[in-house]
Amino acid sequence: MRLLARLSAWKRNLFDRRAMEQSLDEELTAFIDLLAEEKQRGGMAPVEARRAATLEAGGLDQLKEECRDSRALHWLEVLLRDLRYGLRLLLRSPGFAATAVLTLGLGIGATTAIFSVVHATLLRPLPYVQPERLVYLKQNLANYGPMPFSFPKEVKAWHEQSRALSEIGAYIDTRVNVTGLGEAQRLNCGIGTASFFRLLNTRPAAGRLFAPEEDRPGSAPVALISYNLWRGRLGGDPGAVGRVLTVDGMRHTIAGVLPQSFRVPDRYGFDQDLWLPFADSEPAPDRPPYMARAVGRLAPGVTVDAAQAELDRILQATQRRPGRAHALVVPWQEEIASGVRTSLLVFLGAVGFLLLIACVNVAILLLSRSAGREREVSVRLALGAGRARIVRQLLTESVLMALAGAAAGLAFAYWGKDLLVAFLSKSLPAMDPVQLDYRILAFNLGLGLLTGIAFGLTPALQSVRTQERTGLHDSARGTSESRAHHRVRNTLVVVQVALAVTLTIGAGLLAKSFFRLRGLDLGFRSDNLLTLSVNLTPSDYPTALRQAAYFEQALSRVQGLGGVEAAALNCCLPLGDLRWSVSQMKLDGRAEPVDQTDLEVVSPDYFRTMRIPWREGRAFTAADKQGAPYVAIVNETFARRFCPDKRCLGRRIEHWSRPNETALIIGVAGDTHGSAERPVEPVLYAAYLQSEVPSMTMVLRTSGEPMSLAAAVRAQLLALDRNQPPHNLMPMDDLRAQWIAPHRADMFLLAVFAGPALLLGSIGIYGVVAYTANRRTHEIGIRLALGARPRDVLSLITGRMLLLIAAGELLGAAAALALNKVLRTLVVEIPTTDAATYAGSCLLWTAVALLACYLPARQGARTDPVLALRSE
Amino acid sequence: MPSSTNLLQGTLDLLVLRSLMSNELHGLGIARRIEQMTGGTFQVKPGSLFPALHRMEEAGWLKSAWGESETNRRARYYRMTAAGRRHLQLETEEWQRISIAMAQALATS
Repeated sequence: MRLLARLSAWKRNLFDRRAMEQSLDEELTAFIDLLAEEKQRGGMAPVEARRAATLEAGGLDQLKEECRDSRALHWLEVLLRDLRYGLRLLLRSPGFAATAVLTLGLGIGATTAIFSVVHATLLRPLPYVQPERLVYLKQNLANYGPMPFSFPKEVKAWHEQSRALSEIGAYIDTRVNVTGLGEAQRLNCGIGTASFFRLLNTRPAAGRLFAPEEDRPGSAPVALISYNLWRGRLGGDPGAVGRVLTVDGMRHTIAGVLPQSFRVPDRYGFDQDLWLPFADSEPAPDRPPYMARAVGRLAPGVTVDAAQAELDRILQATQRRPGRAHALVVPWQEEIASGVRTSLLVFLGAVGFLLLIACVNVAILLLSRSAGREREVSVRLALGAGRARIVRQLLTESVLMALAGAAAGLAFAYWGKDLLVAFLSKSLPAMDPVQLDYRILAFNLGLGLLTGIAFGLTPALQSVRTQERTGLHDSARGTSESRAHHRVRNTLVVVQVALAVTLTIGAGLLAKSFFRLRGLDLGFRSDNLLTLSVNLTPSDYPTALRQAAYFEQALSRVQGLGGVEAAALNCCLPLGDLRWSVSQMKLDGRAEPVDQTDLEVVSPDYFRTMRIPWREGRAFTAADKQGAPYVAIVNETFARRFCPDKRCLGRRIEHWSRPNETALIIGVAGDTHGSAERPVEPVLYAAYLQSEVPSMTMVLRTSGEPMSLAAAVRAQLLALDRNQPPHNLMPMDDLRAQWIAPHRADMFLLAVFAGPALLLGSIGIYGVVAYTANRRTHEIGIRLALGARPRDVLSLITGRMLLLIAAGELLGAAAALALNKVLRTLVVEIPTTDAATYAGSCLLWTAVALLACYLPARQGARTDPVLALRSE
Repeated sequence: MPSSTNLLQGTLDLLVLRSLMSNELHGLGIARRIEQMTGGTFQVKPGSLFPALHRMEEAGWLKSAWGESETNRRARYYRMTAAGRRHLQLETEEWQRISIAMAQALATS
């Protein structure tokens, strides 16, 4: 009964307000009438009685206010009213509102974006049963530190003997040639234990998963395919289970299809198309062993340390030389995130700092605005409003602004989080896409509220405090800012300027280096060059002779195609992902052996096809084949570094893979950039006909658009042997773009930070100068009246500010110099102290800052002295 | 111990309910009745009375309606509800208990 009455009262208060107000008005008026009547009966004159009655009642409006205050949900009513008022005020000064909302939106949005990624990566638990019991098994190697790899035989030993782990699984990443799916394909392949899929709570979309017996050789060979492969290559064939694939020459039956949601939770993002059972973890003879990644689940009650101790014991027993490696057990989630945790937290910190600066800026802007509302506040105080009430109302306004900023920020975060993920994609673990779910929304809202209170509190408290002393007087406003306030504000301006300058310098350097890289001469002509790779299935081409024969035929077939000007081979193409290096070879005429050099196995036409400048001697010919004397070619860097007198021709060098053999150096070629990270290295070229060539990259100089020949080339190679899939067909220019992609990303990221920093800094300066001008309006009026020129007033207002800006720039430039080391890892091809960039950034910033200073100062100097003197 | 404002509020509520025990009254009438009941000790100001009346109406203890006064003036009349009657009974008992205890405490030295 009571509840019902209360609810209907709430409804009435919120929705029938007008009726309520009217009713209240009538009731109170009636009361005063009755009271007056009573007094009249007592003998007073009518007019007298009415006046006395009104006095006794205490004033109609005050009465109404008292009644209103006691109504249920009154606070809600007041809040709604404050919000409406605040909104009206904001809409009346759109410039200020837009600036504030955008500033806050930037800060809050960036923080939300990064928080959402942090949440998805570091905070969200893995979607498995009891994910905190899942661990990653690593090894601590004596000279190298922690490695995430183990040998399959070590994993087997752990699997058989460990009690501390209730389940141990392992997986290997590799690539294989697959036929039986239409055209031959080279696919990403995983080799996993049955327990691995159990650990990940996998349920097959079709068929079954591996059985424990299939971890060991002896069962019929089976395979699992990924959902995407099933949908794509197999067209969603319902009879997929049972089909036969030939994987690297061996027949496997498809036993099951993995579900679409299946994902290996590590940070390598390998995306396996196909899975083979662990029985296949024995590589072909004279191939290096596979390296496996091992994971497990702790048995109930076992600690990480206990598990580590036990696994270490087992490990030492398997080692030929105990003590070289020790077992290391880490929680799986930690391992996944480890690559990116520091960067993310640094980002979060940086962005939080940005948000702080944004808040301070908005607070300063608010302060300069509140100076103009002093009269309003005084009047309200005089009318009897409580101080707390006014502060609450002012805070409502700030929170409103902050929430608007938060909404804008949410839009920004929605777009920004994908940008962030794309930028970090190399180091981020494979995971579900980052969602802006309710947790993130709550974070956003909370941040908005917090921000609103944070930057709104000081100005709000300030406005009510001023009135204590000056009230509604016309006299000059006292300086309500203490020395401390001044100092804090000045420091903040300097810091903002410094930050903006540092970031701009960094962005400038990166931009310059990026453009340099783009135009860099790589030592060869990359236009109109088609590249592709073939990895021969070992069982199909077991000997060097057969391998070389394949590639010889492949070359002649491809050279016959129209549109192909030249074709060649290289095992390790520059800018490709494979580089071989050899070391410790004795060279004629040199005391110390060659310590390290890159090795590239090439065909005779290689240098011509790539248009690499030729220096001395001759290139390989068809005569340099198996059985003929070994020959080698070197590049300029090799000649410069290793050959005495820089003359290499005619010298003999120890063969890199055949003991007791030497090769004759017959030519010197121009330098090429082998890889992105390192500068030009010495290169030793070998003839492919004289080497083992299990896999090669083919380059074709085309007369037209490279990709237009891709299909034809592919067809020719498949006609030669349809079980050897050509893969990675792409123009060289694409490889080149991939090569500089990280630099582009870095440049963008820094620019994305530098831009807002510049904006925030200039807003900060603007705000401070506007505030100063506002505070000193009275003083300015006096000066102008006494004959000061507007120019003098300008310099008066901006004087201190210019000093601060200069200080900030110096600080910023100094910081950039100090961060030299960090910059050097990112910036290539130009010195990190490039004077032009420093000067340019400082100039840019000075121009921006001067503008930000000038605008409000000009406003202040333009005040009509009469108005200034008359105003408060 | 309830705070002083609550005590005052509770007391006022009680007096209002008591004054409405036998009949309906308008605002002024309630104020006069309370004055009469307490022998002039409590002179309720409209600033306290009307907020209290509205509060109690929202709580469901009173019901109001427009009516005509003795002098044919429009006024808002208040009446006690069943819930209000229950509340009055409970609070009266509580008061009596407290006053006996207080008297005892203050009597002994």
